[in-house]
Amino acid sequence: MAEKFEALEQQLELFIENTRQMGIIVSDFQPQGQNVLNQKIQTMVTEMNEIDKLRTQIQDVHVPMEVFDYIDQGQNPNLYTKNCLEKALAKNERVKGKTDNLKRFKAMLLVELSKVFPSEMEMYRALKQGRGPT
Amino acid sequence: MAELIRRPEPMQSSPRSSPRDRGSRSPAYPRQDSSGTLKTTISLVPGKTPSVIHTGSFYLVKDIPDEAEITGSTNLLNYYNLEHSYNRFLNKKVKEELSAFLPHLPGNIDSPGIQDNSSLRSLIEKIPIVNKEMNQLSGSALSGFRLHPGPLPEQYQTMNQMMQKKRKHKKKNKDSDKGSALQVAQTDSTADNSLKEPEEKKIKRAKRDDEPKDKKKKKKDKKKKKKHSPDTTTANGTEIAT
Repeated sequence: MAEKFEALEQQLELFIENTRQMGIIVSDFQPQGQNVLNQKIQTMVTEMNEIDKLRTQIQDVHVPMEVFDYIDQGQNPNLYTKNCLEKALAKNERVKGKTDNLKRFKAMLLVELSKVFPSEMEMYRALKQGRGPT
Repeated sequence: MAELIRRPEPMQSSPRSSPRDRGSRSPAYPRQDSSGTLKTTISLVPGKTPSVIHTGSFYLVKDIPDEAEITGSTNLLNYYNLEHSYNRFLNKKVKEELSAFLPHLPGNIDSPGIQDNSSLRSLIEKIPIVNKEMNQLSGSALSGFRLHPGPLPEQYQTMNQMMQKKRKHKKKNKDSDKGSALQVAQTDSTADNSLKEPEEKKIKRAKRDDEPKDKKKKKKDKKKKKKHSPDTTTANGTEIAT
């Protein structure tokens, strides 16, 4: 899994570096730099082709759309992971709290019902015992 | 007696009177309800409003489903071995800037992508032309990229602006020199100075450390001289303990 990304990463880094060098040449252009610039443009086309070839290797990659929002806002995409973990943990705790409370409520209800309706509750327990855990 | 034995029991033999067929529907045959459904009887007496009468001892005596291996009450971070990620992201402070995630990327990448039309969203919403062969540019096509000598107007010098920003940042963090080759070249001179400085400081410190030792040595020598001097010796020739 990581290998295919590594190849793409390397190719992208080469492309970015080439573009950066082009930017430097262009920002203060000297006449003798024309040939170098032409070379860089050709390299750019070659590298774009190389990146395009890697497309077939990366087909089954799913990225949440929200991650793009973080990147577009100039934010660290790790913040998305962090927020997801925080949300998952909070939800997990809330659900656990609910189930624990419901279990406690069930136990209390059975106690109180046994006090008020002892015979019915005995019948109920007998009925439930024949079926499995209550 | 034999007749009685031979005679089949109507309740068991008749399919109409089987417990499933009639018992579950008719309140006349009260049986244990295993379906867990609510047993009700609707009375439709002429002249009266129809009413629902609950029958059976218990309703809601449903079979409890088998407990699942994983529920909302299990610690999901533990279950999926995500404690490492949890500690990594929640116990440590995550830097908010995109440049912290991609430190090797040149340029100012922390500004919103909408500003310079470089957002990833726009790639999805307006899909660029794909599946077209990219060929090398011919000589005539390259002539379109012939440039005039001289620097770019200030508003287009984004590269220089980035460099300045990065250099300012570098002063704060001398350790982080993972930038591009040019940045490295530019910062080489400053880095050399910064490398030299600590060495000089070390030498100075070493000198300072040596100074007290020399002073101590001199003091000791003086003391020895004093000890061996005739003034400190007694008449018997023994030395006075100082």
